[in-house]
This record gives sequence, structure tokens and C-alpha cells, in this order.
Amino acid sequence: MRAAALAGGAVVVLGWPWAVPRYFVFLASLIAINAIVAIGLNLLTGYTNQLSFGHAGFLAIGAYAAALLTIQAPLVPLPLTLLAAGLVTAAVGLALGVPCLRLEGLYLAMATLAFGFVVVEAILNLDWLTRGNDGLRVPAARLGPWPLATDTSRYYLVVTVAALLIVAARNITSSRTGRALLALRESEIAAQASGVNLAAYKTLAFVVSAFYTGVAGGLFALVVGFLSPDSFDVFLSVDFVAMIIVGGLGSILGSVMGAAVITTLNDSLAGFQSYRPLIFGAILVASMLFMPGGIASALHRAQPRQGDRA
Amino acid sequence: MIVRPFLLLLLAVVLAAPRVAAEPGVTDTEIVVGGSNSFSGPLAYTGEQITKFGVDLYFKVVNDAGGIHGRKVRAVYYDDGYRPQDAVANTKKLVEQDNVFAIIIPQGSPPVVATLEYLEQQKVPMLFPYQSSPVTRGRRYVFQGMTLSDRSSRMMIDYLAGTRKFKKFAALYQDDEYGKSFLAAFEKDLARYGLKLTATESVKRGVTDVSAQIAKLHAARPEVTFLVLVPGPAAHALRERQRIGWTDTLMVSTGPLTDEKYLALATDAANGVEGLSLWPDPMTSDLKGVQLYRAYMLKYFPKNEPNRYSLAGYFAGMLFTEAAMRAGRNLTRDSLVTALESIKGFETGILPPLTIGPDHETQKQGFWVRVEKGRFTPLTDWLKSE
Repeated sequence: MRAAALAGGAVVVLGWPWAVPRYFVFLASLIAINAIVAIGLNLLTGYTNQLSFGHAGFLAIGAYAAALLTIQAPLVPLPLTLLAAGLVTAAVGLALGVPCLRLEGLYLAMATLAFGFVVVEAILNLDWLTRGNDGLRVPAARLGPWPLATDTSRYYLVVTVAALLIVAARNITSSRTGRALLALRESEIAAQASGVNLAAYKTLAFVVSAFYTGVAGGLFALVVGFLSPDSFDVFLSVDFVAMIIVGGLGSILGSVMGAAVITTLNDSLAGFQSYRPLIFGAILVASMLFMPGGIASALHRAQPRQGDRA
Repeated sequence: MIVRPFLLLLLAVVLAAPRVAAEPGVTDTEIVVGGSNSFSGPLAYTGEQITKFGVDLYFKVVNDAGGIHGRKVRAVYYDDGYRPQDAVANTKKLVEQDNVFAIIIPQGSPPVVATLEYLEQQKVPMLFPYQSSPVTRGRRYVFQGMTLSDRSSRMMIDYLAGTRKFKKFAALYQDDEYGKSFLAAFEKDLARYGLKLTATESVKRGVTDVSAQIAKLHAARPEVTFLVLVPGPAAHALRERQRIGWTDTLMVSTGPLTDEKYLALATDAANGVEGLSLWPDPMTSDLKGVQLYRAYMLKYFPKNEPNRYSLAGYFAGMLFTEAAMRAGRNLTRDSLVTALESIKGFETGILPPLTIGPDHETQKQGFWVRVEKGRFTPLTDWLKSE
């Protein structure tokens, strides 16, 4: 049952560029990138209950790090560039995560919100490096001998990275670390009493979350091909939060589905963005009221009862 | 279980995909063009005016008169809110999903530059981008809209340093491609007169308080102070100058700034300010083309006041129509480019007779205005930028 679902999913993902019009290949790449961010955010919010409205900032750091590395050091292999984007962002995540240990709930949300604005201001003021408001054009990258010049080639890169990160996230969540994080979410006091190191695990969640978002940022730079601080506004952070709420807090599959729903919705609303906040707000309220566990748990409930399920 | 919705989605997508025509965007009965523009964000008003009340206004006129060689023309727009990544996604969608024939009047340097490479690769014409930086120059499929900054600068410096004999210049500029491209051009043109900018101050985009910069420029005592800004901070600069009683400098606005919004924001602080105007006054000009524009606006959008943004869009619609007419019934992207390049001495009744040619520039001139009683009064005829 589960193997069949996985195999079917793999066939769809691999065959996608050959079955759909070109634009949907690009759209699918965006979905996969957003899915990586959503998984990262979910590891933080869904597992340790730390809400972040600053993930657009992490995405920006990863994107600019990868773009600048591609421009300044074109010989560095692409996987290393992406890894570097993730590590740089993770370092920033560490620097943000430690002081944020003292904050909870609303205050944490405010601190991360401010972080998002600070990143945009930093990009603007480092204009000798980032070209500020004018934006930075990202040259086409190469993966070994292959130039990533088409939407299809970039799509395969993005889904490969996404698949790796999904497997990694599954391993994290089903390991001792994942259980410690869940314990923290349920009750910090109980978790601490059972020997879970609160500070270490909360910070770890921040770092891993930032790493995921940084790698996604690197892919974003490649796929979109142009970066500007306008791209990383607070609404993007809100979109990410919407993805995990709609998809399902604490669920990896839910993160992917939430990313797919929100990205597709954004795309189909491209003609009238003025209504976006209204429609998104309605969807958020509706999913909190009627589908509190997000799409993931709704699907879970809809499935026929069987012994072992996905 | 999870697979089925995906497969259904896949099927839906495949069935929904439109059939590709011989020339994208051109059928027996219709020509479809499109553009990504700002309908939200800082330039939302401009975006709405140039497209829905500008380009579409002219297309309504054309369609009611029988269309272009029997084909109706229609425009599709998506909102990018001035965000480059949305402009990229929208443009890909327009080209690959909506199969537009050409991109018309996209707005703002960052969104335009973000899509430049892609459109050139796909050989899709980018017509009359609404921005003034020369970065879009020198491409086969791009035709400039707004007068580019180096041409504007040439007209401004030739008039101020040449005709009016001013000697001491300063500039307050927005710290981005728009401001910096003007600054570089000013330096170059002043050098021809053996002059240079004596003081420059920059303003980050989005900042509205410029009092510190005005104080510094005041200390430098220039005869002429250029304002290379957008309406908000520019109006603040004028009010700040009034507040500190700085009267012995001539404030001069660039072409992109000389508009009604800037006037409305600055109110009486704008009196006596001069500038380069790229368009005749949309409300009062008695040029035949502008009168016609007002009449059509009244007919199709009676509630929308005439303004230079919708006039710019209307003009873009007019140029596209003229080129598509010249290209004939067998319209292709390449025949459109050839037709645009062949336009010589075309009378628009709005701007001087228009010749496009190999430089792909559609607007090369402006004239000098002074603000008197809240309106721009012309001081010169059309200036030369060659």
C-alpha cells in the first residue's frame, strides 16, 4: 500500500516535465522549493511550537549566498554552493535562535518578524555586494558537465534536493531528536524532567529549520534567476506559515501539500493580488476551524481503517 | 491513496492546456498581448492607469473600429506588486500558458530586468517597458518606452548649462538604477561644458524624510538642484526647502518625476519648480491626439480623470497597433519587429513625428516646464536629444 503510493508518487514526479506544458514545470519547481521551506518551518513550528514570521529572511540569506557564490566563484560545484547557502543560513539561524530562547509565543513571532525586516534592510544597505534595490541577476549554473539552462533540468535538480531533504527530515523526526522535540512541544516542563535539554533542542530546531530554508533559497536563486529585496517581504513569510497550517503542523507530507496548495493558489490569483489577503485569510480561518490538523490529518482520517497505514 | 489526486491534477492540467497556434497569440480573429505590472504595491496606481485605462483604452477604440486587419486585440495582465520573482513567474505564464504574442508596457526596472533575458531567449517582443534605465538597450526584441535617462540628461544639461548658462549643479537622487543612471549621465553631459556636480546626496528607496539631505545640499549653495526621485520624497524635499527658506536654487525634476501626483503632493511648495516633461499636459493640451485621448477617456471610462500614465499606455497601444497594421495580415513576432523599425515620421498628434529605426527608442524628446498655479506651463518647444 505504502510502497505503491511511493512508487506512484515517484512516477508522477519524474514524468511530470514530459506530461505537462512547460509553465507547469516551472510552477512545480516553485512548489518543491516552497515545500522545502515548509518542511524546515514545520520542524520549528510543528515540532517545537516556535512560530516564525521571519523565514522569508532566511530564504533571502540562502538565495543571496548562493547567487553571490555563483557569481564570485563560478568554479565551485553546485552541490557545494547549495550546501554553503544552507550552512550560512544555519549559522544565522543559530545566532537568532540563541537569544530567541528567552522568547515565547507572540514575542517570538514579533522577534522573527523584525528579523525579516532586518534582512531586507541589510540587503539594501550592502548594495556594493548585493546591488541593493536594483537586484542581482543570477547566472545560469552548471551541474558538472550539464548546464542547467532549461526549466526541466532545474526541475530535476530541485526535486532531487527536495527528496533528499524529505528523507532527512523523516529520519530526524523519527529519531531520538524528533521525539525530544515533540516532547518539548507537548510540555516543556515534562520534557525537561525526563532529561531533554531544552535550550539545546530548541536551538537545534532553529538551526535545522534555517538550513532547510537556506538550501531552498539557493534553489530559488537558480530557478527564478533574479533576486531583489522586494522578493522577500513579510507576506512571503506569512505564506510559509499559511502553508504549514493548511498542510498540517508537524507533518512532512502536510508541508509538501500545503506548499502545493498555497503556491498554486498564489499563481492562479496572479491577476488580482489585491484580493489575496482576503482569500488567504478565509482559507486560514476555515482550515483552523474545520481542519485543525491541516490537509495531512484530514487525509489520514479519510483513509479506510487498516492495520498499517502511510 | 495519495497518488490519485495527483494523477487527476495531472490529467486536468493536460486537458486544460491550450493548443499552440502557428504564431503564438495570433488567431484568425484575435491578437493577444499581455504584461506583468504593478496592481498592488508602491506603483499600483501607475500600473493600473498605464494598462487598464491606457493600453486597453486604445484597444477598445481599435476594436470598435474593426480591429487590426480583421483581428480584435486583447491584453492579459498579471500583478507582480513590483516583485521581480512574481514578474518572472507572470511573464513565463503569459508566454507559455496564455501564449501572448508580445509583452506590453511592463513597469519598473527590477521587474523588467528580471524578465529581459528570458524574453530575448524566447524571441518574444518586450514593447515599451515603463522605466528609464538604459539597461534594456541593444536587444533585438526590446523597444524602449519612456525616454531613457541619458537622453533626458542631454536635454536637461544642454538647456540649463547651454541656453540658460547655469554653472553650479547639485543632485538629490534615489539610490538605485533609476537615480544612478541619471547621475552618471549628468556627470558626462556636464563635462562637455567643463562643469561637474558640486554636491550629490542619495535617498534610499522607500524613505520619505529627506531633511538631512536638503540641509547638506543647501550648504553647498548650488544654482540648480536636480531631483531624481519618486513623488513622495520629492514632494518632501520641496516642502523642506520651503520650511528652511532656501530660495536661491532652482529645483528641477527629471522626466519620470514630472507628473501630476508629484504636484498634488507638493502643493504650493512646487511653485516655480521646473522640469523636463515627457508628455504634453493630458488635462489641458490642445494637441489633436491629446484631445482625442480625452474624448475617448470620457466615452469609455468617464469616471477616470485623464493623466499622463494612462496617456503613456494609450500611446503604447497606438504604437503597437500602427506596427501590427504595417506588418499586415501575416503577423509574426519578427514581422512586428521589422514593422516597428520601419516607422518613420509617424504622426501621433501627441508627441513630435516619430521615427523609431535601429535604436529601438520610441520617445526621444521632452520639453521644459515650470510649475505655475499648480500646473505645468511649457517654457520651450520640444528639445533635441540627438
